Amino acid sequence: MPVVELSAVTKAYQDKVAVNQLSFRIEPGQMFGLLGPNGSGKTSSIRMMIGITAPDSGSITLFDQPFSRSSLTRVGYLPEERGLYKKMKVLDQLIFMGSLRGLSAEEAQKRAIAWAKKLDIAHSILKKTEELSKGMQQKIQFISALIHEPELIIMDEPFSGLDPVNATLLQDTLLEQKTQGKTILFSTHRMDQVEKLCDSIALIHQGNLVLSGRVREIKSRYKRDRVIVEFQGDDSFLRSPEIAQAKNYSGHAEIQLKEDGDAQKLLVEAVSKATIYRFELMEPSLEEIFIQTVGGKVDA
Amino acid sequence: MRNILLIAQREYKEQVRGRTFLITTILLPAVFAGVFYLSFLSGKHSGTDKHIAIACSDPALAAEIRTEILSDTDAHSTVDLFTAEMPGMLMDSDRSKLVSEVDSKAIDGFFWVDVPATGPIQATYEAQTAGDFVTSERLQSALNHALLRGRLVEHGISAAAADSLLKIVKVDTRQIKNGKEVTSNAVSSFYSAYIMALLLTMTTMIYGLNVGRSVIQEKTSRIFEVMLATVKAGDMLTGKLIGIGAVGLTQILIWIAAGAIFAGSALGAQYLSGNLQIHISLLQIVLFGVYFLLGYTLNSALFAGLGATLETEQELQQYSPLAALPVWLSFSMILLISTNPNSIWVVAASLFPPCTPIVMFLRMGSQMPPLWQIGASIALMLLAIWAVLWFSTRLYRIGILMYGKRATLPEMMRWLRYS
Repeated sequence: MPVVELSAVTKAYQDKVAVNQLSFRIEPGQMFGLLGPNGSGKTSSIRMMIGITAPDSGSITLFDQPFSRSSLTRVGYLPEERGLYKKMKVLDQLIFMGSLRGLSAEEAQKRAIAWAKKLDIAHSILKKTEELSKGMQQKIQFISALIHEPELIIMDEPFSGLDPVNATLLQDTLLEQKTQGKTILFSTHRMDQVEKLCDSIALIHQGNLVLSGRVREIKSRYKRDRVIVEFQGDDSFLRSPEIAQAKNYSGHAEIQLKEDGDAQKLLVEAVSKATIYRFELMEPSLEEIFIQTVGGKVDA
Repeated sequence: MRNILLIAQREYKEQVRGRTFLITTILLPAVFAGVFYLSFLSGKHSGTDKHIAIACSDPALAAEIRTEILSDTDAHSTVDLFTAEMPGMLMDSDRSKLVSEVDSKAIDGFFWVDVPATGPIQATYEAQTAGDFVTSERLQSALNHALLRGRLVEHGISAAAADSLLKIVKVDTRQIKNGKEVTSNAVSSFYSAYIMALLLTMTTMIYGLNVGRSVIQEKTSRIFEVMLATVKAGDMLTGKLIGIGAVGLTQILIWIAAGAIFAGSALGAQYLSGNLQIHISLLQIVLFGVYFLLGYTLNSALFAGLGATLETEQELQQYSPLAALPVWLSFSMILLISTNPNSIWVVAASLFPPCTPIVMFLRMGSQMPPLWQIGASIALMLLAIWAVLWFSTRLYRIGILMYGKRATLPEMMRWLRYS
């Protein structure tokens, strides 16, 4: 039973097609990445999933049912265009958002305080939102999206504007949600940020689906033909017939193997010439796969 | 429904706790009371405390005029009798002397009355203030009164009998309501309705604009996308209208309560008497609430739709004359409304939804409009609200998700089609 399923969904604004015949499904408990460069149709797709806009054609199911607004209390959404009531106190704001999603005021308050402690913003809970830093505001929005313990969590560019410490904190929190059985949809143009987190992905470009499926399966379709070597000593192995192209940054070499190049032969040659600290046969990143597939440059 | 009430509650709490609410609740009636009292005082004191000289070729007539003027004790006038160079004759040199006295501000003006042996009497009031029509009318009345009294005496009527004949009769106003005569004070009834119309104007305008402003603030804070993932755009708008409307009603109730406490106090009794006596019936209070709600909903629906198409509060300010237009139109008809409240133009204006609340209340100052007209005006306002809401909700649904630039007319037309 998929949590979300899009079937041949199309959405156009005047003569610009934002989403074209898009189909994918998100299984329960998955961390799913909706990836693509800016303007590829990710936000348009999400907006249709949660009923902010309606598709021109195709169908969308949420929790295995045709879209219904009553299902939205089971969804937590952190949009790319973040917003909070600036004059409201943080606690009041979280209680209001929780109440809108069906919680009682008392329950919402209890959960808001618990979340504030967990994300280390308890000291700011009685302040007005406008008095807080951008990072703090982002944490409040994060809590607001999760306070009603939704089964499906949708995060549109969740780590943008966050410092590494807070990005890691939120990432860990999301992983914790996943272990609790929640389904998580990430939407981002920063493919490197989420590829290690996601079980499955849909890569879209100009509104069209380019690739979809489990990350491991997708990556396994592409050959491991890139090698990273860290070494000391003779670098003549970098002229091996197995290598198509090599860049040496003072003992750190990035190597592209030939079509029929053999990494094992290269390793033997390298060991015979130099002291090898690291020899790693790299799989292509999602971004590289994306570039290979669409044959263009990712707008990051 | 639960979400609509939650949104209404949030809007209500935020606005009532705000400084603006506190300031307008206290300041608005204070400013109104001040302006109203000042205009009352200026009316009462216009043409008073004047120092006038009377130059008349007939000294007896001059004395009569002086007596007449001084008999109006409210005017607090000082009247000198000018002594001409040649008794019984006014000459240019006399005029020059009086002009220089006015010029040096020794007197405010002089009343020049030339009584020739034959021909009509020539009378002129010369003063530094050209527009003092109150003093001018007072002098004209005094002269005619004195002349009439003189002529009656000339015709053999005793001075006492002449005074009795010329005694001024005060006209009281009595209004016929439902076939019965009731005592009324035309001035105070008019002022009461005028104040209510003004309060109605201000509140419906202020709170209508507040809705527009609130939409823009939410648009700039990018809260809509979060909200729309939970509630429908229509529910958001409804909650907003109910919440802000409730703030307006709260403010009005505070004013009514404060007004009732003041009117019942000793201080109130001292001030609110005579022409300042306030006559407000229960029906007027009920209609005030009804017309506030209708006027507010009409304005706020208009500004909610408009706000969704704009980006900044400054842009919204440019459209505020839209709300003020019916106010100007209504108050420009005030003379016709007070003197002929049942004329076709006045009835038409009171049935024109944007003008209805104000014109209806101004009409009530002269005469309570027939119930069918009140009913028809309410029905027409409801119809207008439905039409404006139809357009506004469509603009609102799409406009709140459009960021970056003010919507153009073709874009708005497209939004209407999409919805």
